[in-house]
Amino acid sequence: MKFKVDNGPHVKDSDNTSRIMNRLMIALIPIICFSVYKNVSIIYRMDISILEALKPLFMILIAIFTSVITEFLYSLFILKKNKKDLKEYMKHSYAIFPGLFLALVIPLNTPLLLVSLGAFIATLIGKMIFGGFGHNIFNPALTGALLVTTAYGSFISGTSNLFELDTIGSATPLANLANFNYVGTFEQIVGKFGSIFNYIFGTIPGTLGETNKFLILIAFIFLVATKVIKWRIPVFYISTVFVITYIVSLTNDIGIWYPLFHILSGGLLFGAVFMATDPVTSPITPMGQVLYGIGLGILTTILRFLTPYPEGVLTSILFMNMTVSLFDKIGLKIRNSFNKKLIYITIFILLVISTGFIINKNLNKDDSSVKILNVIKSEDSYVYEMSSKAWGVITANVTIKDGVVISVDIVNSSSETKWSHIVSNDYINKIINGQDNLDSLDAISGVTITSDGLKEMVKKVIEDYGDKYER
Amino acid sequence: MYSKIKLDDNKEISLKKELIDKSDITYVYIPLFNCGVECKCLVKKGKKVKKDTIIGIREDIDFPILSPVSGTVMGIEKKLYLNNCSVDCIKIKSDFKNKSETYNEVEDINNYSKSKYIELLKRFSITGMGGSDFPTFLKYKNKVRTLIVNAVECEPYITSDYELIMHKASEIVDAIYAIKVINNIDECYIVIKRKNKELYNVLKEYIDFYGNIKIVKVKDYYPAGYEREIVKNILNVNYDKYPSEKNIVVNNISTIYSIYKALKYNTSISKRIVTLSGEMFRTPVNLLLRIGTDMSSVLKRLDGYVRKTKVKLVSGGPMMGYSLEDDNLVVTKNLNCILVIRDIEEYDENPCLKCGRCIEACPMKLSPVSIKENLSNPDELKKLDVNKCMECGLCSYICPAKIDLRSYVRAAKKEVNHK
Repeated sequence: MKFKVDNGPHVKDSDNTSRIMNRLMIALIPIICFSVYKNVSIIYRMDISILEALKPLFMILIAIFTSVITEFLYSLFILKKNKKDLKEYMKHSYAIFPGLFLALVIPLNTPLLLVSLGAFIATLIGKMIFGGFGHNIFNPALTGALLVTTAYGSFISGTSNLFELDTIGSATPLANLANFNYVGTFEQIVGKFGSIFNYIFGTIPGTLGETNKFLILIAFIFLVATKVIKWRIPVFYISTVFVITYIVSLTNDIGIWYPLFHILSGGLLFGAVFMATDPVTSPITPMGQVLYGIGLGILTTILRFLTPYPEGVLTSILFMNMTVSLFDKIGLKIRNSFNKKLIYITIFILLVISTGFIINKNLNKDDSSVKILNVIKSEDSYVYEMSSKAWGVITANVTIKDGVVISVDIVNSSSETKWSHIVSNDYINKIINGQDNLDSLDAISGVTITSDGLKEMVKKVIEDYGDKYER
Repeated sequence: MYSKIKLDDNKEISLKKELIDKSDITYVYIPLFNCGVECKCLVKKGKKVKKDTIIGIREDIDFPILSPVSGTVMGIEKKLYLNNCSVDCIKIKSDFKNKSETYNEVEDINNYSKSKYIELLKRFSITGMGGSDFPTFLKYKNKVRTLIVNAVECEPYITSDYELIMHKASEIVDAIYAIKVINNIDECYIVIKRKNKELYNVLKEYIDFYGNIKIVKVKDYYPAGYEREIVKNILNVNYDKYPSEKNIVVNNISTIYSIYKALKYNTSISKRIVTLSGEMFRTPVNLLLRIGTDMSSVLKRLDGYVRKTKVKLVSGGPMMGYSLEDDNLVVTKNLNCILVIRDIEEYDENPCLKCGRCIEACPMKLSPVSIKENLSNPDELKKLDVNKCMECGLCSYICPAKIDLRSYVRAAKKEVNHK
């Protein structure tokens, strides 16, 4: 009796690529549902048509549709597949994902036509020209998103988004953070968008996929437990961002909320869990994944703090995609040597810490002390909204009338104990009374920096008033 | 670190039934083949032979091949060896008397000298019965400090060693003690899987009598039963090529039983337990078969295959075993299992999605996927340590894109070793 011969092994793991992709889809479904719900729920508070409220759904559907059609036409006309092959090919190319992810990462006010264009670019340039599934170098969805947001950025920001404008303030938390020059009080940076619950459960502005951190966390646990994603990348990515922003917060005397804010705002969590772990465009070696995650964290914080783009996740993932083979080479080289691993880990930890200090230094350089946030004219006086970064941050409204400061109202201070010290010394009145010769006014011992900060604040107001309004 | 993988072991199905003796056969076929080396035939057609008569010889190490029965040489015939190669076999017609040329019951088996011991191992053609067929006497040439007896049986389905211990625990422990005394060995270990509590209880009873032999329980994962893995787990020792470099000998428990036969009765082993199993086999069972049996005759006499779907015939375990083109397989000392399993055709390869599972699964810490990518680059392959691969098959097992990575690594080994 004859039998078929093959190489074995004669048992194989029951898991396969299609099942992995199905699990990825399952992890995304709650996030998609939430993004649709979030916008629909706004109808009850605003007078908008149901069609407008359902925009997230249309974005997702159009993006998926474009992706699948692009891939289908490409394989039909350019790869010239025959009918039978085509069916098999489409079954194993998972065409919906570039479009789906694109819809989840681009801003909600992107016009639908641009969404479609983005999905087309994502599939064609991000995936197909490299040879299709498994061969692309860059994350397809991010390729599409980058091209659309940079080339047609004006269309996106020019089209105002009703829902988000009304409900939670115009800018995303990170754009708001950038307005404050990256350092501010809890109220300024976090409080504008509500409590920590708003951040965790996603009722803050942001793209479709990124806002609900709770669902992303659940998805992360699910995906790691079912072995869909490489857990090292998101864990080390986020830890690195945490460490760097924690260094910034420590040196600026801001609370532990600051690094948490960085992790919970923007697309960091979504990017780390879903985009940076895209198996095809991330390192395969365990150590490569660790170092890659740290590299992503460093790059993202640098982009966030030191460039005009407060988001940074998208760009850093795309940039790091180019370095995957390098990280794999390192990963293979150091795999079996504990000492080499230790050396690389030490180098990367040093890099992380120095990045924290470099960022911090650059932040302090352009704004060491006092800043005018806003000037409001009321009848015959001017109210200056001031911030002073002394020991922590103080914000105050300084009212000036005919060149004379008449009141200093403290709006916010990051250090309560130091503040009570100032109040107990009646220092504000001392400043107002002695405003003609502030330099001779002594600082209060123990709170020297804070009291000096106040003094500088008032000085600057008088100066500015003199320049602009006094004739 | 690598992640340890537990396979569905399916062992219980062949343990439901009692051991069946199917060793009463007329014709035996003895392959002129040992460890990849062809051997020379020493007998002519029509010659009467006894059990233990030397009928062939492996010339490079002067290693004999013995007749497992007494009877008449019928000639040379091609049969399938367990690696799916057709080899020349000496066909012998049994006279059912089983008279041995050398049979001699010895009172005290601890009383041999080391040189006599090695001579016996050679004379009675003792080879590794776990699958390697490696001549055992070569392992004992150096000074031996540690003896490890491997009863892990980490491949799924196989229960032949399990069955052997259940029947012959006393003899096995006697032999281990004798080997220890003869070779002046410092430490002896019997390695079993942690979950096999019955084996522990059976062995413990006899070991308590001798002392100085330890039972080590290892976790249930694949490949817990590999020589390298065992040595690393128990002694925390890494070696280059053979454990004897570090004065360690690892023997399969069935080999120990064949040593017992040689020491106690001065005869070679003529039967062994073979597991017949697989989800496409109707009555999984352990069989006691004579060395040299043509499997097609045995399979005919059993209930046969479940023939609803296409089946594959596999010699050895499902991970390391060879797929056979025909069922005229000859039973050799190193055949522990025959499987009839479903032939799944949907294993077509998808593009690698770079999930890295093969890297995490590899017990030798290789990177199968990188080896595959660098297949045409021998310098790079050398850096990737391809020769360390022990072909356990976990990379091919785990790959979600169903890429047969082991075949690529085998090709890479060839590429490197050619240059």
